[in-house]
Amino acid sequence: MKNIKNIVSVIVFSVFLITVSSVCLAKPDTQYSDAERRELAQFPKTSAETIATGEFSKGFESYTTDQFPMRELMRKIKAAFSTVILGKAENNGLFYMGGHISKIDEQENEKMMDHAAARFTYLRDTYLKDNKIYFSIIPDKNMFIAEKNGYPSLDYKGFAHRMKSKVDFMEYVDIYDLLSADDYYNTDTHWRQEKITDIADRLLNVMGKGINGGSYNENTSDFPFRGVYSGQYALNIPADTIKYLTNDTLNNAIVTYYDTGMPKVGDMYNMDKASSKDPYEMFLSGAMPLVTIEKSSGNQENHLILFRDSFGSSIAPLFLKGYDKITLIDTRYVQSGLLGNLVDFSGADVLFLYSTSLLNSSLAIK
Amino acid sequence: MLFSSITFLYYFLPLVLILYFIAPKKLKNVVLLLASLLFYAWGEPKCVFLMLATIVWNYCFGLIIGKAQSKRAKKIYLTVSIIGTLSGLLYFKYAGFFVENFARLTGIVTPALNIVLPIGISFYTFQILSYSVDVYRGEVAAQKNPITLATYIALFPQLIAGPIVRYKDVAEQLDSRLHSFDKAAEGIKRFVCGLSKKIILANTLGELCEGFYSSGDLSVMYFWLFAVSYTLQIYFDFSGYSDMAIGLGKIFGFEFLENFRYPFISKSITEFWRRWHISLGSWFRDYVYFPMGGSRVGKGRLVFNLLTVWFLTGFWHGAEWNFIMWGLFFFVFLTIEKFFFKGFLQKSKVISHIYTLFLVAVSFVIFSGNGLQEAVIRAGGLFGAGDIPLVSEGVVFAIKNYATVILVAAVCSTPLLKTLYDKLRATKVGIIIEILEIPVLLMLVIIATAYLADGSFNPFLYFRF
Repeated sequence: MKNIKNIVSVIVFSVFLITVSSVCLAKPDTQYSDAERRELAQFPKTSAETIATGEFSKGFESYTTDQFPMRELMRKIKAAFSTVILGKAENNGLFYMGGHISKIDEQENEKMMDHAAARFTYLRDTYLKDNKIYFSIIPDKNMFIAEKNGYPSLDYKGFAHRMKSKVDFMEYVDIYDLLSADDYYNTDTHWRQEKITDIADRLLNVMGKGINGGSYNENTSDFPFRGVYSGQYALNIPADTIKYLTNDTLNNAIVTYYDTGMPKVGDMYNMDKASSKDPYEMFLSGAMPLVTIEKSSGNQENHLILFRDSFGSSIAPLFLKGYDKITLIDTRYVQSGLLGNLVDFSGADVLFLYSTSLLNSSLAIK
Repeated sequence: MLFSSITFLYYFLPLVLILYFIAPKKLKNVVLLLASLLFYAWGEPKCVFLMLATIVWNYCFGLIIGKAQSKRAKKIYLTVSIIGTLSGLLYFKYAGFFVENFARLTGIVTPALNIVLPIGISFYTFQILSYSVDVYRGEVAAQKNPITLATYIALFPQLIAGPIVRYKDVAEQLDSRLHSFDKAAEGIKRFVCGLSKKIILANTLGELCEGFYSSGDLSVMYFWLFAVSYTLQIYFDFSGYSDMAIGLGKIFGFEFLENFRYPFISKSITEFWRRWHISLGSWFRDYVYFPMGGSRVGKGRLVFNLLTVWFLTGFWHGAEWNFIMWGLFFFVFLTIEKFFFKGFLQKSKVISHIYTLFLVAVSFVIFSGNGLQEAVIRAGGLFGAGDIPLVSEGVVFAIKNYATVILVAAVCSTPLLKTLYDKLRATKVGIIIEILEIPVLLMLVIIATAYLADGSFNPFLYFRF
């Protein structure tokens, strides 16, 4: 019996090893991981130099890992084993609680906060000496989920206190009390547009703008939204749906994108992006260095300049209640030093609206 | 190249196995040698030349020592051979340490050497020293075939993380070894167990330790949780590598000696070192301790012998003061045990276990530091130094996140499962256990692969060895 078992064992493992190995070699390479939203490693450059320096072997290790057959299934197996069998409370730094996937982000990064503050100060000194400047921090949704469920989280109040003390030339607007976990997508880091109208109203009030323009119609995207955390967490979690707000003002607004250097008029909601790899990009077409939204009336008296990250895309349209024109600037994609040639800052109100996660890893802010 | 990588498991290993088993007997060592050189050169191509130089040096001196007629001549040749072999280790591993400490002592500013430490240099240096010494002692004949000697030194299963295989233990197998389904099946089982220990348990415990290093929320309890986790991580990582080496060895027809025998069930530090990294302990015993006179000497000399061995044991693990401190920590307790309460420890089951585990955990906290200062701070943290609280939120979450892993690891570090497995195999359900063994092993390989494909935390802990 033992002999037979040993023969079977050797045959089974030989077949397994050779089969997997053959599939590894035969499988066409994949360029992009939709689930993880990242480019996958490709076969490394082969040369005497890359081999001698070990660069080839490092690249090959990444390549074989990224291109492993049925990698998504393997990631699911790992996540299930890790959480169900080994009882881990998180997988890849993410946890699932109360219908939400949330990311553990407990470490405050003082250097990153200083970097963000330095960039904001530069903008003030260069362009905004005569402007009214406001500042608000968007808490990560983990702050509404983690603590009560025994997970670590950033001390938001302490973080906000320290951050605002670094940029005390701005008037700080606290929005924490208006938010809860359900104001964010279940599978994504971002907030839901239909849940943040009160946030927009508070910011407009503090900035001294009357709220005009009436109510909104709520629309639902036809496409499922599997947010950025969904793929990283690896286990199957029901997809979100994206709702977006419209009314006559928003429908008739003129949106101009400066992504290619040339202004291009487009829509507030880019429905092509709604079915893309990142459906949240349907809000003002996602990552853009410079976008303007103008009321169709052509009046530009009330101008808001919004320095923002991706959260700003969904809230910016709601500021049309109080402003005629909104200019969105994302200094991750445009050099701050160039802004003087692109934007007229005179007489505009300025709002710096950033999420804690970006401020805590702000190196991308130029 | 690491065993715990997709490249090794699904590219390198299948290719080598195919080439090895289709190669005629006389070419099998050539296949193994070429595969081993590729394995070693994979991460650090330049370092392979140092290893080849060491092999050539010792091959030549092995022949010279073997042919030398007088004892004196043999001794001189051996001394030259050892000096040459050790100079590589001293330069690449210890030069930076000596220069840095010289600068600290004298205040003379010296440039940083930034010497890259070749992976596995401590392992293969000790292997090759054992060869030269054994030839000198006449315990083995000098190897005339350079391919055979090179295969022994470079043999990839044990090249980068041990066990330290002595030439005399495998000399015959290098020329002629048995390949069988039984041995291969045993090897597969051993390799899969080792792979699972490394990837599933050690790496997961390593995540906890990484969390501890970066945590700003430390407490006494967190230090102790770290001590337990790090001790288990090192055990599963190191013994996992040894299991993989022994398993691969069996597949290729070799029989390597055991390197770990459930060290955490020890009742004394003396016993612990008979169960932990056995190949290193026995190497120091046979090539340093016994030649110095061992324990058949006066008390003063015995203490000196122990001090030397444990200083060297600590220093072998890394060119940092904390490794020396780690070695001397064991010297102190081994000496105390030898002279005072060995008998007491043997009588008392519970206290002796607690005593041993406590000291081992403290020792690995010292081991974990990057230098003496960090080691002292961490060891102090275990006893509340640094004005830290008893409990913190960080440790509460770490316990919640890793409790099952720690429990599983703790159970797996004892012979409990193996005993149960052996007992069940002897009963009526034994046949079911036998049948289930293959799918369970296959499942473990798939899970380990899943961890690798996910790009999970996968450190290599022996870069300082």
